[in-house]
Amino acid sequence: MEKTKNILFDWRLHLSVLVITVIAEAIGVVAVPIGIGSILLLPLLYAFVMGLVLNPNVVRKVEGWMGQREVRAASPLIVIAIMPFIAKFGTIIGPSMEKIIAAGPALILQELGNLGTILLAFPVAVLFLGMGREAVGATFSVAREPNIAIIADKYGLKSAEGAGVMGVYVIGTLFGTFIFAILASLLATSGWFSIEALAMACGIGSGSMMAACSGALSHAVPAMEEQILALAGASNVLTYATGLYLCIFVALPVTEKLYDLLGRKEPAISNAGE
Amino acid sequence: MSTAELPVDYEAEKKPDLVQHAVLLVVVSLIALVGNTVATDATIIQGLIGLAVLYAIAMVGLVLTYAVPVGLPSVAWISLVGILVTLPWTPGSAWVLDKVSHVNFLTLATPCLAYAGIAITRREIGIAKSSGWKLFIVAVFVMTGTYIGSAIIADLFL
Repeated sequence: MEKTKNILFDWRLHLSVLVITVIAEAIGVVAVPIGIGSILLLPLLYAFVMGLVLNPNVVRKVEGWMGQREVRAASPLIVIAIMPFIAKFGTIIGPSMEKIIAAGPALILQELGNLGTILLAFPVAVLFLGMGREAVGATFSVAREPNIAIIADKYGLKSAEGAGVMGVYVIGTLFGTFIFAILASLLATSGWFSIEALAMACGIGSGSMMAACSGALSHAVPAMEEQILALAGASNVLTYATGLYLCIFVALPVTEKLYDLLGRKEPAISNAGE
Repeated sequence: MSTAELPVDYEAEKKPDLVQHAVLLVVVSLIALVGNTVATDATIIQGLIGLAVLYAIAMVGLVLTYAVPVGLPSVAWISLVGILVTLPWTPGSAWVLDKVSHVNFLTLATPCLAYAGIAITRREIGIAKSSGWKLFIVAVFVMTGTYIGSAIIADLFL
């Protein structure tokens, strides 16, 4: 009870978020045309940047308004604030159930595509950047909370593998929404993939990243908005359900095998912070 | 440093209980209501009813998270509830759909990202700074890898 009051009385935090939301929504979506497509700047991205600007760890001067107390209080609210969004997402998936069942095999098999992190990122990390064991933690998954739990369980978070998964987690937290929004809007306008496939790929296993990704996609192809959201949402739920097992039984063992093949042979003592 | 101070914040912090969730969910719903009114043509009343329905869905999902301990995260439960109440063959699904149609989905994510920006800790900034550029490159490849990997397979089987 005491804690409920505490969180509620973090009124500066909630007031700041309210003001940020109003400003972000007042600006609205802005499309920036570049080369092969256009990058969509979404209100949620401005909101993140404005949040960073009000973060005393980023901008010292705001300490008078927001302190470490508010920073700590904000953390559990990320998940709570995404709940109405997830509920709305469910209501988009439900009516489209028939279309989703029709897309079934593709939807289920594309979960295997999450192994693409290993194919693409592992060689880069080990062969080009010369990373040691931290490459295993950094590239076996998209490094969201369940994946951190796997690494914490198997290697501990102070290990090199732990440093790797935490590093990508942090970068993902900081820039993930940007990266996925940019990827989605570029690929949507490139015509290399069908929009349905790109929508399914948005189910990454992170609410905010899926929001940015499917949001960018549906703004690029407004006529297909409902379908995009339904497929992305369904894929995201599927990733929550299967991602953990895919990581434990396939992704991590495969990454380990690859490290035996390509990685440094001497025991790595370096940490990610070189 | 004890294990309680692992460099990952989600482990260190206590998760809010059901009552706290209920209260905080009201706070974020009100913020979302203001955002929705700014972003869309929906009236405050339409937005309020829509968000009340979404609130109910979220709460049922939360209760299920506590009641059915199979390790499924709350967001997975909430989306399942949202799916179930809007299936074409669920009674009353048309009513639910009509009410929530006045709430813009993207606007609902805006407050979440604002909290996320404020929640970044000094430690997280430290990690990003010290091993920054290498991890940044790897992270970009990780995200591109999962996205394009999934898109290629989905495209093959569609």
